[in-house]
Amino acid sequence: MSHRIWQHPEIPAGDTTVAWRSARSHDDPESLHEWLERQLPGNASQMTDEADLETSRRSFLKLMGASSALAGFGLTSCRRPEGYIVPYAKAPEWVIPGKATYYASAMPRAQGATPMVVTTFEGRPTLVAPNPLHPDASGTDAFAQASVLDLYAPSRSRNILKSGKPASRNDLNAAITGLATDPSAKIGFLFGTDDCPTRTRLVKELATKYAAAKFYQYEALTGESSAALGDGVKGVADFSKTRRILSLDCDFVATDPQGPVTPFFDGRKPEGKNGDAKPDGDMMNRLYVVESAYSLTGGMADHRLRVAPSQVLLVAGQIAREFGLSHAKGVNDITDAKQLAWIKPLVDDLKSHAGKSLVLAGSRQPAAVHHLALAINLALGNLGAGKPLAAMQTESHDLGSLSTLMADIHDGSLESLVLLTASNPVYDAPSDFKFQLALAKLKTSIHLGERADATAHASTWHIPATHYLESWADTRSVRGTYTMVQPMILPLYQNCVSELELLLALLSDSGNLLSGEGNQEAPSPAYLAVRKTFAALADDTDTAWKKFLRDGFLTDTLYRLIEPTMAKSAAADIADSNIKTGKAGVPGIDALQVIFATDASVYDGRWIDNAWLQESPDPVSKLTWDNAALIAPKTAKELGIYDEIIATENPRALASPDGEAQNRKSPVIQVTVNGASLEIPVLVSFGQAENTLVIPLGYGQGIDKHDALHREPSNQTHVGLVGINRGFNAYALRTAATSYFATGVTVKLTEKRYPVALTQEHHAMYGRALAREVSTMDADDDKGGFAEQLANVSTQGNDAHAPPNLSLYEPKGSAFWHPGPEGQAQNHLSDPLHQWGLSIDLSACMGCNACLVACQAENNIPVVGKEQVARGREMHWIRMDRYYTSQPDNPFDADNPAFVPQPVACMQCEAAPCETVCPVNATVHTEDGLNAMAYNRCIGTRYCANNCPYKARRFNFFDYNKRNPLVAHNLYQGPLGKTAIGDPDHLQKNPNVTVRMRGVMEKCTYCVQRLTDAVIRQKRAPNQQSLATGIPSTDADIPSSTLRIPVDSVKTACQDACPAAAITFGNLLDHETASLGRTKRIDRNYDLLHYIGTHPRTSYLARVKNPNPEMPDAKYVGKSTIHMG
Amino acid sequence: MANTFPRWCNLLPLKIAFCLLSVAVGLCAAFYYGATPKTLVVGYQPAQPIPFSHKIHIDQLGMDCRYCHPFVEVSGHANVPSASTCWNCHQHVQLESPRLAPLRKSIDPAYPGYDGKPIEWVRVHKAPDYVYFNHSAHMNRGVSCQSCHGNVNQMDVITHDQPLSMGWCLACHRSPENFLRPLEEVYRMDYNAQSFLTQHPQPGVQSPREFGLKLKERFKVNPKTTCTTCHR
Repeated sequence: MSHRIWQHPEIPAGDTTVAWRSARSHDDPESLHEWLERQLPGNASQMTDEADLETSRRSFLKLMGASSALAGFGLTSCRRPEGYIVPYAKAPEWVIPGKATYYASAMPRAQGATPMVVTTFEGRPTLVAPNPLHPDASGTDAFAQASVLDLYAPSRSRNILKSGKPASRNDLNAAITGLATDPSAKIGFLFGTDDCPTRTRLVKELATKYAAAKFYQYEALTGESSAALGDGVKGVADFSKTRRILSLDCDFVATDPQGPVTPFFDGRKPEGKNGDAKPDGDMMNRLYVVESAYSLTGGMADHRLRVAPSQVLLVAGQIAREFGLSHAKGVNDITDAKQLAWIKPLVDDLKSHAGKSLVLAGSRQPAAVHHLALAINLALGNLGAGKPLAAMQTESHDLGSLSTLMADIHDGSLESLVLLTASNPVYDAPSDFKFQLALAKLKTSIHLGERADATAHASTWHIPATHYLESWADTRSVRGTYTMVQPMILPLYQNCVSELELLLALLSDSGNLLSGEGNQEAPSPAYLAVRKTFAALADDTDTAWKKFLRDGFLTDTLYRLIEPTMAKSAAADIADSNIKTGKAGVPGIDALQVIFATDASVYDGRWIDNAWLQESPDPVSKLTWDNAALIAPKTAKELGIYDEIIATENPRALASPDGEAQNRKSPVIQVTVNGASLEIPVLVSFGQAENTLVIPLGYGQGIDKHDALHREPSNQTHVGLVGINRGFNAYALRTAATSYFATGVTVKLTEKRYPVALTQEHHAMYGRALAREVSTMDADDDKGGFAEQLANVSTQGNDAHAPPNLSLYEPKGSAFWHPGPEGQAQNHLSDPLHQWGLSIDLSACMGCNACLVACQAENNIPVVGKEQVARGREMHWIRMDRYYTSQPDNPFDADNPAFVPQPVACMQCEAAPCETVCPVNATVHTEDGLNAMAYNRCIGTRYCANNCPYKARRFNFFDYNKRNPLVAHNLYQGPLGKTAIGDPDHLQKNPNVTVRMRGVMEKCTYCVQRLTDAVIRQKRAPNQQSLATGIPSTDADIPSSTLRIPVDSVKTACQDACPAAAITFGNLLDHETASLGRTKRIDRNYDLLHYIGTHPRTSYLARVKNPNPEMPDAKYVGKSTIHMG
Repeated sequence: MANTFPRWCNLLPLKIAFCLLSVAVGLCAAFYYGATPKTLVVGYQPAQPIPFSHKIHIDQLGMDCRYCHPFVEVSGHANVPSASTCWNCHQHVQLESPRLAPLRKSIDPAYPGYDGKPIEWVRVHKAPDYVYFNHSAHMNRGVSCQSCHGNVNQMDVITHDQPLSMGWCLACHRSPENFLRPLEEVYRMDYNAQSFLTQHPQPGVQSPREFGLKLKERFKVNPKTTCTTCHR
C-alpha cells in the first residue's frame, strides 16, 4: 500500500477568516504544515539532554544485564507473592468495599461556597462534583475540582511551628491557654472573606469574652465592590432574568464570580436550556465586555471593547452620561470616535431592555466604576427581588480591613493576632504596607493555615489547618443558602486544627485545644458548635439535622435583600478616581500600564502547591507551571521585542510554529513600576489593549538552587516540590494605591532567557471547519440569515462537497468469535441496549479547565512536570484548544481577534483509524461503541497516536505515577530514581481505574468505569423483580428493556463538573427521550473532521454569537469558523 | 598434510548441539513449571490465621454464603467478613477455643491480648490488577459461586479450585449456557442441573445444556468478550 497523505480540501472561497493559535502560526502559516503532521513536538520522543543521556544509556545497559542475570534465579517473578485481605474489625455503616459513598459538603470560598457532592472510597475522598439539589448549584471550577488533591498534598503543613521551627503541641497548648485565660488580652482576629455562620456566632462570644478584641478580614484580591453597595453588601446576579449584560472588566464566568453562572450559559443556547425549543436569537442573552486583556468572559462576548484599565472608568462614565446620570459629570469625556460608536448602540440596547439587563463592574476596578455601574443599574431598574441584580447583606460586616489592622498594630492597641485568612498577607499584602515588620511588632501571632507559607514562618506560631474535607463547619453559598461543610475523613495529621476548633479553644475557660475526635473519640467541638448554629436556624431534632447532612443545605436561608442607594461617597470617589485616571491618561509606549491579574491556576497564590492546577494550561496564554508578562503584539513590536519573543530557540528541534520544545525560551524583561522592578519572561497575547502589560499574581513564593535563572535561593521552606521555582512574584510591584493596575511602567529587555512550557501548539490539529460559528444576524453576505446559517452548519468547511467515504472494510465483527444468531458475522456495534455518545456545545463552552481537572481526578491521570510538558508529553485526556480568529477587512478593530475555545478528547470513532494500526489489538472497539484501550495489552508502539487525526491519545513516556517527575532528572534514573510522588498521594486514586505504567498509551474512555458500573447495577433489577414476585426465575421472562440503564442516569466526570452544562452524555439508543438525543438533533450538531469518514461518537454544537446589528463590528461577529493548515 | 583440527573436534558439532538442546529443553521445562497457570494457583491452599472451615459452616450448619459475604450481590468485591460478623455468633459459640484467639484479639475488649486490629486473612483468589472482575454482575445473572470457587462446602481449608485465567473466563463468556442456574439456586452448593430438571420439569427441556440455553434466553444473558468488559 502506498504511503497515503491526506490532502485536506481547499478552504471554501469567500471564507476570509484567519485562525491561529500562536504568534508564529499567525505570522507564518506556511511553516505550520510539517509541524501539524507530527504526533508530538520534534523531539518529544528523544533524549537530548546531555546529563540525561549519560545516566540513561549506561544505566540502561547495566540494568538490563543485571535484570537478565536475576531472572535466572528460579523464575522468582513467576511465583505469586502472599497477599492479605484485611477486612474491618468493626464494619462501619454504609461502607461497601468497592463501592463509592457520596456525601454532601461544600468548599468555603470568598465569593460564596461551592456546594458539592464528594465521592469517597472506603473513607478516602477522591473526587468532587456539584451538588445538583442545592439552589445555588452552578457546576464546579478547576479550583474546586483540584482542591481534593490539596488534602493529600505532600507539601501540606503538618507540624506546629514556633517562629519557623518545629515545636510541640504542649508548648502551643500553653500559649493558647495563656490567651484563653486572659480576658483582658489585646487580641485581634484576621478572617478570610468567606462567610461562616458558626464563626459569626463565635465572634460575638469572643467580643463578649475579650473586651479589647478586634476583628478584621482580609483576602488579597477582593477589590472595592463594597464601596458602592455598603459594608458587607454584595450584588448577586441572576442571569436567568438577564437579556443584556455589560461587563466592565468583570470576569464573572471564571475568576470574579457574581452569582450562579449556569443560567448565563443556558442563555447562550439558541434552543434554550433543554435544547428542545425552536432556535431563536431572542432566546439568547447578549454580552458586551469592556476589558484590557482577554479573560474567559471576554472570550464569550458578543461585542468586546479593549481599553487600557484606567480607561474603563471613562467608558463607564460615558455610558452613564448617555443615560443622563449626573454622577458621571466629573468623568473625562471619551474622544475616540470608534469607542463612541461602540457605546451608543450599547446604551440603546440596554435602555430597550430596562429591568432585564445588567451592568457588572469587575472587583479589581476602583470604587468609582462600581458607583457608576450601580447608578446605571438603578436607572435601568435592574435591582430588586425578581430582577437581574440583588443587593444582599452578607455576614461579613463591621470587620476592619488590613489597613486598620496595620494602624492598630502600630498604635499598640493590639498585642496578639490570630491569622485565620486563607490569604498569605506577608507575601500578598501591598508591598508598601510592610506587613512582615508590623507582624514582628506583635507579642504573639498565631497563624492557622494549610501551607507553611511566608506568613506561617513570620508568625510566632503556625498551626497546621485541617482541609475542608476533614473538618466540621458551615458556610453560605453565593446567595446565602446555609450550607454544610462536613468531614469525609479524620484529619490525616494529628496536629491539624480547624478554624472553629481554634476559636472554640480560645472561648473555653481552660484554653484546651481539642481537634478531630481527640483521643476519646468524642465528637469534634466544631461539630457541636455547628449543630448549635443549625439548631438556632432550623430546629434541634435529629431528623432535621440528618436531612441537612444528606442534602448539604437548608432551604430558605438566603441573605437578606437590601435596597441600595448611591453611597454618599460616590461623587467624591468618582472625582478622585477621575483625577488619578486623568493623571494616568492613555498609556503610552514609554509609560505602560500593568494589570496585576488573578491567576487561573494559583488564584492569589494559595494554590501554588497544587500540581493539577499548575499543570493545567492557562485558559488564555496556555502557559503551564509559571507566570509570564503578557503583551499585545503591536506593543511588543513598538518596544522592539516582538522578534525576540517569537523566535525559535532550538535549532535542533523540528521547529514548531511557536518554537515549542523543551528548549523553548522566552526573553526576560525587566519591568519597573512604583520604584520596584521585576524580571519576568514575556509572551505575546492577542486581543490585549495596546501599551498594557498583564502580570498574573501568586507566583515566585520560593526559590532554590535548581532555578532556571539562578535566582538567589529564598523562602525554600515556604513551598513544596510543586511550588518551588515557579514563576515570578509580582506582589513586590504592587502598592495599596495600585493594587490592581499601575501606570508609568517601563520595560527593558534583558539578556536572560527563561524556559517556558506552553501547550498552545501541542497536539495541534488541522483540517477544515474544526470549530464552527454562526451569527444570529443576517450579515448581508452569502451566509444568509440565522436559520440558513444553522441549516448550513453541518456542511461548513468542505463537508458539503466531501464525497461519501467508502471503507475498504465492512463494518463487521468476527464470525468466529462473535457469531450472530445464524452464525454470521455481526455489525461490530451490536449492543442492542447501549450505544454511548457525547456532545459538546461550543456555544456554552468558555474554555475553563474544570473538565480537564475533573478528568484528571476521575481517571488517575498523572502530573508530568514542567520539563515534560515542554516536550509535549502532558497527559491530560482533554485538550483545551484555544484559537484566535480575525477578519482582515474588519475596519473596527483588526487587532481584537475573536477567542474560540474547543475541548477535544477521544472522539470514540466508529471507524477508528487508531484501531486498524495497533499490532497487538490493544485498542479495539466494543459493542457499545467505545474505542477501548486495554492497557495491559499495549506495548507502546504509538502507531495509534500517530494515526489519530484528532491527536487525542497520550503516551506514558515514563512511569509518572511511580517516579516523581518533579525531582530534577529523576525520570531518567529508572528504578534508581526517587519513587514516591509524595507521601499520601496515592490515597486520591480512583480504585476503579488502572494506574497506567510506563510505555502505555491512554486516552478518554467516556469514563468507562462509570458506564460499566451503571450497566452492572442495572442487571440487579430483573433479579430483584423476579425474586420479589415469587414466580420461579425459570418462568420469569426478563424483558431486554429492563437491562437498559435509565435515561440520563450516568454522567461522565467532565459533564458533571462543567459549570456551563456544555457537555451532554448518554445512550444514543434513547434517542427520543434522552437529552443527548435532543442535542444531536439540533441543527448546530456537527462531527469534527466529518469529511475524513471516522464517524466520531462525540459531536460538537456550533457556537452562536448574538451580535447587535447596530454595533459597528456586528458584521464581523460570528464568523469564527476555524480552518487550520 | 597435518590435521588442522585435532581429532576430538569430530564430535564437537554434536556436543554443541547437545548442549544447546539441553539448554532449550531446560528453559522450556522451567517456563512450563514456572509460568503456566496450573502451578501458579490451582490447589493453592495457604494456612489462614484462623483455621476457618467452610465445610462446617455451610455443610453442617447450613449457612448461606451471603451471611458472611453480604455485598456479593451489590458490589464488585465479595467482601471477606469483618471481625464483628464472626463475633455475632462466636461471642456465644466456641468462645474459649484457642483457635479463635486472633478473632478475640481483634474484637473482644475483654480478651487479654485485645488490640482492635483487623485479622489478616491470606488471599487465595486474586485476579490481576488490570482485571476488574465484578461479583454482582455474575451472581445476579445466574452464575453460582461454585462455578469459580469450586465445592466450597466441602473445603475444610479454602483452596484455589479453578485457574481463573483469561482463557478460562472467556470459555464461560462465550458459552454461558454450560454454567447458568435458576436465580434461586445460585447459592446452593449441592445444585445439580439434572436432578433440578427431574424435580422441576421444564417444557421442551431435556438436557442440562438445553436448560442452560433456556435460561440464557430467559435472562437475556449475553456476556461480552470485548476488552472493556474486564479491562479498563
